[in-house]
Amino acid sequence: MPDMRFNIPGQSLNREPFIDKIPDFQKKCEVMITDRGYKCKITNIVPLTSQEKLFLLRIVDPMERALFTFRPGQFLMLEVPGYGEAPISISSSSSNQEFIELCIRKAGHVTSAMFEARQGAMVSIRGPFGTSFPMEAMRGHNVLMVAGGLGIAPIRAPLFWIGNHRDWYKDVRMLYGAKEPSQLLFNYQFDEWKKVSDVNLMTIVEHPDDSWKGRSGMITALFDEFTIDPDNTFAIVCGPPVMFKFVCSHLDRLGIPMNRMFVSLERRMHCGMGKCCRCMVGSTFTCLDGPVFDYWSVMNLKEAI
Amino acid sequence: MIYKVISKPEFRAFVDALVRANTSYGPRQVDTDRNGDPIYQFMPVSSADEIAFDYTVTTSSAKHLLMPFRGELSRFNFSDGDWKQQVDYETQPIVLIGLRPCDISAINILDEVMLKGPYPSPYYLARRKNTFIIGMDHLPLPDCFCKSMNRHTVNHGFSLFCSDIGDRYYLSINSAKAFSCLKEFRIDDPTDEDNCRLIERRKLIKHSFETNIEVSGLPVFLDIEFDSPIWQKWGDKCLSCGSCAMVCPTCYCYSVEEQFDLDLKGSRRESHLYSCNLVDFAQVAGGHNFRPRSGDRLKYRYYHHYRGFAANDNQQICVGCNRCGRTCLANINPKDVINDLRLERESCLTCVSTSPDKA
Amino acid sequence: MNHLGFELEKIKIGSFDFTCCEGCQLQLANRESHLPDFLALLDIRNFREISSERLDDYDIALVEGSITRSDEIRRLKSIREKAKVLVAFGTCACFGGVNALKNKFPQEETIRTVYKDKLVETMPAAKISDFVTVDYSIPGCPVSKKEVEEVVVGLVTRSLVTLPKYPVCVECKQRLNTCLFDLGEVCLGPISRAGCDAVCPSGKTVCLGCRGPAEGVNYDSFTELVKEKGLSTEEMNEKLAFYNGFTDYLNHEG
Repeated sequence: MPDMRFNIPGQSLNREPFIDKIPDFQKKCEVMITDRGYKCKITNIVPLTSQEKLFLLRIVDPMERALFTFRPGQFLMLEVPGYGEAPISISSSSSNQEFIELCIRKAGHVTSAMFEARQGAMVSIRGPFGTSFPMEAMRGHNVLMVAGGLGIAPIRAPLFWIGNHRDWYKDVRMLYGAKEPSQLLFNYQFDEWKKVSDVNLMTIVEHPDDSWKGRSGMITALFDEFTIDPDNTFAIVCGPPVMFKFVCSHLDRLGIPMNRMFVSLERRMHCGMGKCCRCMVGSTFTCLDGPVFDYWSVMNLKEAI
Repeated sequence: MIYKVISKPEFRAFVDALVRANTSYGPRQVDTDRNGDPIYQFMPVSSADEIAFDYTVTTSSAKHLLMPFRGELSRFNFSDGDWKQQVDYETQPIVLIGLRPCDISAINILDEVMLKGPYPSPYYLARRKNTFIIGMDHLPLPDCFCKSMNRHTVNHGFSLFCSDIGDRYYLSINSAKAFSCLKEFRIDDPTDEDNCRLIERRKLIKHSFETNIEVSGLPVFLDIEFDSPIWQKWGDKCLSCGSCAMVCPTCYCYSVEEQFDLDLKGSRRESHLYSCNLVDFAQVAGGHNFRPRSGDRLKYRYYHHYRGFAANDNQQICVGCNRCGRTCLANINPKDVINDLRLERESCLTCVSTSPDKA
Repeated sequence: MNHLGFELEKIKIGSFDFTCCEGCQLQLANRESHLPDFLALLDIRNFREISSERLDDYDIALVEGSITRSDEIRRLKSIREKAKVLVAFGTCACFGGVNALKNKFPQEETIRTVYKDKLVETMPAAKISDFVTVDYSIPGCPVSKKEVEEVVVGLVTRSLVTLPKYPVCVECKQRLNTCLFDLGEVCLGPISRAGCDAVCPSGKTVCLGCRGPAEGVNYDSFTELVKEKGLSTEEMNEKLAFYNGFTDYLNHEG
């Protein structure tokens, strides 16, 4: 009787498919094997509000740290061992190789676990995943950033980028709206953004309290206070779907071409790799084709808004 | 590909030897339904006698043998305020016997989905490479519509494919391992007559289909019909029970979940096959559900199957086995839904205005 | 969790039973291979099936059984006052369970049938959430030990544990079971909450929905299906009433 058994050892498969197959990572496939993450230490935790905290993460392994680069707008999968994974947009400067900042709202299972974590905790990240804001294409133009609520988290990355490449861009304006004054995050950095990064920052809240001296109303109210050069402006919009729908249609009326407006969509990614289909919007993966889309693509996407 | 013929008793001996040496799965009768008809499933088999070579169709596909309903993705072991992650792709080789062309096509589609793109799945690859597939052709059941999807024949993705040409099987051998195993058995080169019988067999299969679905132009059609009331009409019937996705050979959507070990010394991350019909499929942290209505979820499944997603080149992933239609308690099946959708538009009064030349 | 920078503590647990068979509590002593690890998570303060301790300081109270007497209401409320987290444990506590079957008959008749002429105080069987706030529910007749383990681990590790929202069919299909409808039965699998690993259908017994309804159940379509299978509305309602889990739907119909 012949030997009818067959076997291809699984170990030999470990690397095989990845050589030259991960364009975004180039040589990184050597370390980044789909489900294996980079171990990170939480080096600092900044409480922002009762529901939001800023976490500073440092990749433990120096080689992995050197290899981890991302572009503004990308997200990563944050793993809290034992509790699970959640997609979180990267909120720090892409030129900062030492630390990764994640602004997290306590919303679900994993983020609640993050809120329990203390300084020095060991977590893990996979990524970065997804598309990014086309910072190079915006060169030589005005940039208008519009953030609503937690939308400030993903928008900080392009904001830092602009700070680092300020001479690339002409007029940079940022509109930031929140429900209540206490929900305006990073207000301790507003001065830095205004003065150091030369960003024209305008804030507005929906429900002002007695101490609030700034503007109140919907974020679109701010558009009455300045003029936009539609032929020469790129827009980045992050916030709840209702907000970017209003903002984008307003900008559309002002004449900014749809392919110059960028939005960041949020869905609950489970794999981050275009497999599990949990983050599908219409026929598009938020994790691969997004989270950053131009408004034209979002308009064409069914169920996006 | 090498073509050979083998007598049925000799083929049985070959399968028996293969099955005895490997972990194998084949069609077995598991029950008799209320009409007295046998019910088959792909089950573990340990000898050729256990295999129902003449089976009609299995209730569930063989998908779960390549993409388990619950599969471990990685493990974390905790110690001293730190942890170690362990990712393991090791897998045991398996033999699958009796897959139909549509089932093999489905695996080819899963290959596209899981192994192409920027992040090929190593878990799937390890299983796929360690799977020996023996395909067998069959005469279509009245509700099979794989011909409409052009999945009634298959020319790759198997180790060995057998066409029934009367007292013998016409073998298409597609792997060196299959060939070297078969060499120990009596196989002959096909004669002219065998070739003729193969062609006859294929013709017979091709002409035996009773169910057809018009799928030409369906992707664009589905885009246009995104807001059609038809979806909610079928959604109102849908029980959102997920049975269709579980038995489907190509439904692969999953969730990733993590669980502590009971001793709290570690945890495991698992993928759980999910269904887009299930109520919380598109729910996000904080509770917002992007598809709260059953009609939206049902539509989504049809979009995935008949429009296709960008990740696999907008390819339709349905193979036309109609397992979902047979298993659905609410009598929802692709044929009726798609016909309904087309019919609604074609009978629409504003569309069917008098043509210009008649006016 | 050490790697997250905080220490885990055992949970102080008390287990209490009302009108029930105590089968759910007994279930906790099952799965012997896991028992040492399971017990290591618990500081048992009050638990008749497992320990002779009778202490009153517990954080978590597992409450089994339905409420059928006025003194049970008082006892339940005092447990609620002491417990930080109150868990409705098992189908009787969550929905009323089989005990609620008696609610369909006149009270005198039920007492006479069971106790003859003895004087017994009783009232219609009710779920515990009719009287106190319930933090977690673990339905099941009996509860699944595996799920209880998950909930206990969740409480210890301070992570949220949620029940599956989808129906039993998902798990039943995953076990490659033959659909009981194909065998001519009427099963409540399509509308009942999963998490039991389809244990009844796997044993060729129809699901009677001991875990209550799944989320977003399509009752209209299910009613249609049941009629098509030749079951009268009364027969269907009888099935739905078995564990008292589908009262919302039945009341809505009635």
